Amino acid sequence: MSAAAPARPGSAVAARRRAQLQGVTREFAGNRSGLVGLVLLVLVVAAALLTPLLIPFQTLDVTRLTAGQNEPPSGSHWLGTDPAGRDVVALLLWGSRISLLVGFAATAVSMVIGTVVGMAAGHFTGWAQAVIMRVIDFFLVIPGLVLAIVLSSVLSRGVWTIIIAIGVTSWAATARIVRSQTLSIEARDYIERARALGAGDGHILGRHVLPAVLPLVLANTTLTVGSAVIAESTLSFLGLGDPSTISWGSMLKTALDTGAATAGFWWFVLPPGLAIVVVVLCFTLVGRALEAVVNPTLRSR
Amino acid sequence: MPVLPEPTPSAVPTPSAVPTAEPPALAWRGVRISYAARAGDAERVVAVDGVDLAVPRGGTLGLAGESGCGKSTLAMSALRLLPRSAVVAGTVELDGEDVLTMRWGRLRAVRWTEASIVFQGAMHSLNPVRPVGQQIAEALELHREGSAGPTEARVRELLALVDLPAARASAYPHELSGGQKQRVMIAMALACDPDVVIADEPTTALDVVVQAQVLDLLTGLVRERGLTLVMISHDLAVLAAVCERIVVMRHGRIVEEGPARQVVSDPQHEHTRELAAAFPVIGDPASRLRVGRGSTGAVGGSHPVDPVGPGAGTGAGSAGEGAAAGAAVLEVRDLVVDFRSRGSRVRAVDSVSMSCGAGEIVALVGQSGSGKTTLARTILGLQAPTSGEVRFGGELLPRSRAGLKRYRRQVQFVLQDPSASLNPKHSVHEAVAEGIRIHRLPGDEGERVARALTQAELTPPERYLRALPQELSGGQRQRVVIAGALALEPTYLVADEPVASLDASVRGEILALLLRLKRDLGLGALVITHDLGLAWNIADRVLVMHRGVIVESGPVEQVLLDPQHEYTRSLLAVVPSELSRR
Repeated sequence: MSAAAPARPGSAVAARRRAQLQGVTREFAGNRSGLVGLVLLVLVVAAALLTPLLIPFQTLDVTRLTAGQNEPPSGSHWLGTDPAGRDVVALLLWGSRISLLVGFAATAVSMVIGTVVGMAAGHFTGWAQAVIMRVIDFFLVIPGLVLAIVLSSVLSRGVWTIIIAIGVTSWAATARIVRSQTLSIEARDYIERARALGAGDGHILGRHVLPAVLPLVLANTTLTVGSAVIAESTLSFLGLGDPSTISWGSMLKTALDTGAATAGFWWFVLPPGLAIVVVVLCFTLVGRALEAVVNPTLRSR
Repeated sequence: MPVLPEPTPSAVPTPSAVPTAEPPALAWRGVRISYAARAGDAERVVAVDGVDLAVPRGGTLGLAGESGCGKSTLAMSALRLLPRSAVVAGTVELDGEDVLTMRWGRLRAVRWTEASIVFQGAMHSLNPVRPVGQQIAEALELHREGSAGPTEARVRELLALVDLPAARASAYPHELSGGQKQRVMIAMALACDPDVVIADEPTTALDVVVQAQVLDLLTGLVRERGLTLVMISHDLAVLAAVCERIVVMRHGRIVEEGPARQVVSDPQHEHTRELAAAFPVIGDPASRLRVGRGSTGAVGGSHPVDPVGPGAGTGAGSAGEGAAAGAAVLEVRDLVVDFRSRGSRVRAVDSVSMSCGAGEIVALVGQSGSGKTTLARTILGLQAPTSGEVRFGGELLPRSRAGLKRYRRQVQFVLQDPSASLNPKHSVHEAVAEGIRIHRLPGDEGERVARALTQAELTPPERYLRALPQELSGGQRQRVVIAGALALEPTYLVADEPVASLDASVRGEILALLLRLKRDLGLGALVITHDLGLAWNIADRVLVMHRGVIVESGPVEQVLLDPQHEYTRSLLAVVPSELSRR
């Protein structure tokens, strides 16, 4: 029996959570590629957060520029300048803020919708379940990008429009995963016991099902952030974002519009593309490592 | 020192039995088996600790003990089927040949041709996507270079040996009943005509009727084919029905060994007595309304028993009579529950009427599939009845949510498997407080939890509050479930096979707890079970259910000692303690 000393149950719970967290950390640290992804991600996020301190926004003001257009990389401009004469490094860092913001926020929207709808689809039976499942199926089969394009052209232009457009179109897969986990949890005897104790739907979902599906949702989240970043870039590239904000997608669009890509100004085309690849790859690595921690059967494969 | 059992006069009359110079069919000499506690860990867990044991040719040996006593490990070592992390010391001899030092090729040849195993849990040991005939043939194909024809004939022969029609060879495991699957497992074990068969808990998951059939089959095979049989079980009565000798193990050591009848009827070691008492002899007044250690001294064994009338024998008997007179609180009238399955309707409960008094323990007995669990779930309001009514305290079972919630403060539920019925992430405190929180009971939550734990005899409660279910034993987990129910201060308890998944010695403790709750709190209970011994142990009245219909009901003494219905009689005839008496 590990429970030797009498203690307040609250602190016991906290101690156990701490021990669990340590276990997860140890497991994660054992996954080298996941660790590499995490370190890179932390660096990227830190750079994005610190950008206003490092490079004031004024340096991107077109009226105060001193550099020429499309300058190649040099000592003063590490990655050269864009067709308007702005520093590409500054653009890249400022763009990362929007790209990551959209990635995280859209994922949060998608996860909340996916978890709630998925749990409901697994918990309720009869016609309620049938209706919810058809809604999930609807969002699963329509092409997400097309719906997002429609949404962002109907709604007013802006970052939040893009976030909502991405979030509303990408939750269906999560909902199906959450639903299957909910079904497997609800078949357990302790749910029957809770019902016999008088528990209602809220209690069963909140106390038993949600804690059991959360680890799965968490691992899924990091994978979804990557695709949300790509979706944001795509929408911006197609010109559906706010033209006044800088993101990696809008940088690529500017490169295409001004002919930078065809003129061989690689320093303006490659960096945003590579940045997208690296960030998405990092999220995927971290997500897969988390998935292996959550689901031990995936380990050692 | 090897213990060679002397040939008993009642030994199985096989011609091959025991010229003493011949080596025993199977012998363990100074065997000690340990496992690494965790992968890569230096600390080792000793599962078997210095066992000397020999089974003569044609002999039958029963290995008894609780889970974790090392009996399965010992049996698996006979074919070197232990996991890599196991270290075996000593020698294991199969027909005079040391298994542990055998070359790999020789070991493969020996496996199944000289000794084979009927694995535990027939439900999970068969491949669900292959017909059972193919699975039986698998061993034949591995060990014989014959053509297809003889193999098929042999499969038919094997199926006939275990009383299955040859057509069943093309059946898939899910199309067979539990007993049929167990027969297939036995046929597989016999495929290569081995001399030694090891049966690991061959009847544990089966209900009494099927268990009796499987035991009969094993006894017949031993008699006709001169098999050497090693059978593992936690139920002494089951072993006594088949085996000549019984060995009782505890903590990896042999604590008692002797002829089966003697071990069961006159156990010497305390642990054997506990095991024996866990499965009472029906009709034995010493185990009537008394369980656990209290009854161990007087297990009368295999003698015919005087009928116990009111007032005869123990005072507890008459107390039971008094309680049975209590007013009926739970009444069921013409209850019908149908299930739709693939278009056809299946009637699980067929116009059942019954009534249970306050402070009375009623046992609902039946085979698996008799509808007893459905009846319990309907009484609890977890399953909607097709027609009929359930009344508690004179009031109709409410249909509304709020009404059901109120009802559940009165009637509580204890499930079969305590490991599954506790959320593995919730501490004992959270599990017990769950009901209190749902019903927002007034007063201090910690105090209520502590009181419930004390009532369930988990004392001192502080020791258990922060433990997780995985840190508790099976019996302690079941107590937590009971405490969770008691926290709502119910007046009635419905328990679905409350001890079926628990160890023999724990079984008595939980049953004693139910008896004490009845005495101290006046808590009535409907206990669902397939075990007539349990009814004899604790119940005031017994209801026998067969195919959704209650075929017989009445006071325990009347029903169990003077059964009227044919089905009750057939159930009583297959209770293991009766089988061993034949």
